[in-house]
Amino acid sequence: MNIVVLVKQVPDTWSERKLTDADHTLDRESADAVLDEINERAVEEALQLQEAHGGEVTVIAMGPDRATDAIRKALSMGADKAIHVSDEALHGSDVLATAKVLAKAIGTVENVDLVIAGNEATDGRAGAVPAILAELLGLPQVTQLRKVTVEGTTIKGERETDEGVAFLEASLPAVVSVTEKINEPRYPSFKGIMAAKKKPVSTVTVADLGIDASEVGLSGAYTQVLEAAPKPPRSAGQRVEDGGDGGSKIAEFLVGQKLI
Amino acid sequence: MSFVESEERIALRKAVSEFGAKYGHDYFIAKARAGEKTTELWEEAGKLGYLGVAVPEEYGGGGGGIGDLAAVCEELAAAGCPLLLMVVSPAICATVIARFGTEEQKSKWLPGFADGTLKMAFAITEPDAGSNSHKLRTNVRRDGDDWVLKGTKTYISGIDEVDAVLVVAIQQTGPVLVVVPTSAEGFTWHQIGMDLVAPEKQFTLFFDDVRLPSDAVVGSPDQGLLQVFAGLNPERIMGASMATGSARLAVSKAVTYAQQRTVWGSPIGSHQGLAHPLAKIHIEIELARLMTQKAAALYDSGRDKEAGEAANMAKYAAGEAIAAAVDQAIQTYGGNGLTAEFGLASMLGMSRMARIAPVSREMVLNFVAQNSLKLPRSY
Ligand SMILES: Cc1cc2nc3c(=O)[nH]c(=O)nc-3n(C[C@H](O)[C@H](O)[C@H](O)COP(=O)(O)OP(=O)(O)OC[C@H]3O[C@@H](n4cnc5c(N)ncnc54)[C@H](O)[C@@H]3O)c2cc1C
Ligand SMILES: Cc1cc2nc3c(=O)[nH]c(=O)nc-3n(C[C@H](O)[C@H](O)[C@H](O)COP(=O)(O)OP(=O)(O)OC[C@H]3O[C@@H](n4cnc5c(N)ncnc54)[C@H](O)[C@@H]3O)c2cc1C
Repeated sequence: MNIVVLVKQVPDTWSERKLTDADHTLDRESADAVLDEINERAVEEALQLQEAHGGEVTVIAMGPDRATDAIRKALSMGADKAIHVSDEALHGSDVLATAKVLAKAIGTVENVDLVIAGNEATDGRAGAVPAILAELLGLPQVTQLRKVTVEGTTIKGERETDEGVAFLEASLPAVVSVTEKINEPRYPSFKGIMAAKKKPVSTVTVADLGIDASEVGLSGAYTQVLEAAPKPPRSAGQRVEDGGDGGSKIAEFLVGQKLI
Repeated sequence: MSFVESEERIALRKAVSEFGAKYGHDYFIAKARAGEKTTELWEEAGKLGYLGVAVPEEYGGGGGGIGDLAAVCEELAAAGCPLLLMVVSPAICATVIARFGTEEQKSKWLPGFADGTLKMAFAITEPDAGSNSHKLRTNVRRDGDDWVLKGTKTYISGIDEVDAVLVVAIQQTGPVLVVVPTSAEGFTWHQIGMDLVAPEKQFTLFFDDVRLPSDAVVGSPDQGLLQVFAGLNPERIMGASMATGSARLAVSKAVTYAQQRTVWGSPIGSHQGLAHPLAKIHIEIELARLMTQKAAALYDSGRDKEAGEAANMAKYAAGEAIAAAVDQAIQTYGGNGLTAEFGLASMLGMSRMARIAPVSREMVLNFVAQNSLKLPRSY
């Protein structure tokens, strides 16, 4: 089974994330860049499926030069090879353009049975790339999964929602997206780290994928960020006085926040 | 010449650092206080190949060098989990066996070092021979094909959790290194009460005519001295790495606290009385790390003699850096620095260990005075 995992490099969620003043795109200098945690889980899921069903795992990332670090991490976890779409023209691309580019990049991989993405990126948070991608590729989409199994040519998944758990099925090839509940990603082993450098990474441009540069990037985006303001400092929070009913007040609060 | 580590080394540091964070300092302290070992941490690190990075590939190891192993040790310490047994088991014992062991000894022991399933302690110190290793008295003699070991060792770390101990013993031609399984008949030990907060304990060992098979002595018996020296450089490099890692942890805790705690309207970190000592210690840690990496690079390129000088200097610098770092971190925390909750006071004992073991600060200064500066010796 050949699997493609879509991995995105994002600013570390623990660091302060900023937008540039010039064009309100991500200020990549302001924060450490890491492989998005949800994508580590997507890679983990691919590796587990590969262990059970064989085949090859290819990671695809669209991002600037330094996204190679995120790619290297995925390869050190055990993925076999990578495609890195890197092009100045991509700066400021919107969700549609991102999905278009990723679809073309997936098209360069032979006999893909499954595409695995994260349900949403921690920076852009559109949560839309997997669905758009499935449309563009003409494949069934099984999104927001907390569990994935493959039986023959069928993929089965569990989607957890506020209303309950949906049990979904589709035939392969398909696009799935996974949530943070899917698994615990492995740490790269020393051998994995040493092997990663020797694994093939092909770097391609927008033109290599047969896409016109004007369709992507800031100029090609359907939406535009006009203004941005830093988020307000954290407010003081809500204080609960314990008059014997403190426990139930806390429970009420948590229910209100949909935490329990 | 390059002053940055390889991409792989940096990736290894990141991976180990994230792995270490999963356990963390609170886990380490809790284990130590409960009298338990960090078994799950050791086992998982072993499976990931982090403990066997320097074991040759043909025996299941990572095929890296002592620089890689030191990076693992430092990052785990910086994540709050300084593993004392890393300094002895994979660094001294595995190195000596890989370099000098017979083919049979290598196949017997190295695969276990590679995945961490085997742990070996190292015993050189004796009650009357700590700094002065010329006074070693534990002896081993031939009896037919067997060897018979007699003597006492002290301050030996980890005997209660290892499979065997590599003992430096004297025979007619000089020192030899002997592998003694902890199950050997006539081998007993006694725990030393230490005021250190660490899962690893120290012991006095008694070898009462312990009979060992002919392959118990590592490699060729006339190469013992060379073997001891080969093991001591990795030991110093690892000791330095554990110290700089712990020092980084202390400083990072202090910095976080100094940014948050306000006493006079601005964070205490804005007072130079606290900021400058932390800056100075940060510099000293970086210098110690640099010398440690130099020592490891020299050792890994086969330059034992130059590595020896660098390793001693690194150990010295790291020992001073950790002592200063924990001292200043506690000061930065004020009263909180001595609480159990913040965990800094628990580092006090360890912060002084690096000045004493495996070789004391004074003995390093003696070494540098005599070897680097060619000054006459006083003792
Ligand atoms: C600072 C900033 C400014 C922005 N400005 C604009 C703007 O002006 N106009 C506009 O329309 N949009 C803008 N966006 C949105 C941006 O274009 C999206 O982040 C991007 O298109 C992908 O959407 P997402 O990251 O939200 O993906 P999601 O749909 O949340 O991601 C889901 C999954 O898709 C995959 N994936 C997503 N992106 C990639 C990638 N690059 N490489 C590989 N896999 C990937 C991953 O598996 C990921 O887990 C901006 C985003 C940021 C962070
Ligand atoms: C926590 C811990 C773990 C240890 N683990 C191990 C282990 O696993 N295996 C092992 O073999 N050993 C171990 N040791 C022992 C350690 O290596 C010795 O403690 C160390 O070598 C110092 O020896 P000593 O304690 O006998 O001190 P001594 O030799 O008695 O020295 C006492 C003091 O005198 C100073 N001194 C001695 N000679 C001179 C001189 N010529 N000039 C100036 N000053 C001098 C020393 O620097 C020191 O300050 C451990 C020690 C500790 C504390």
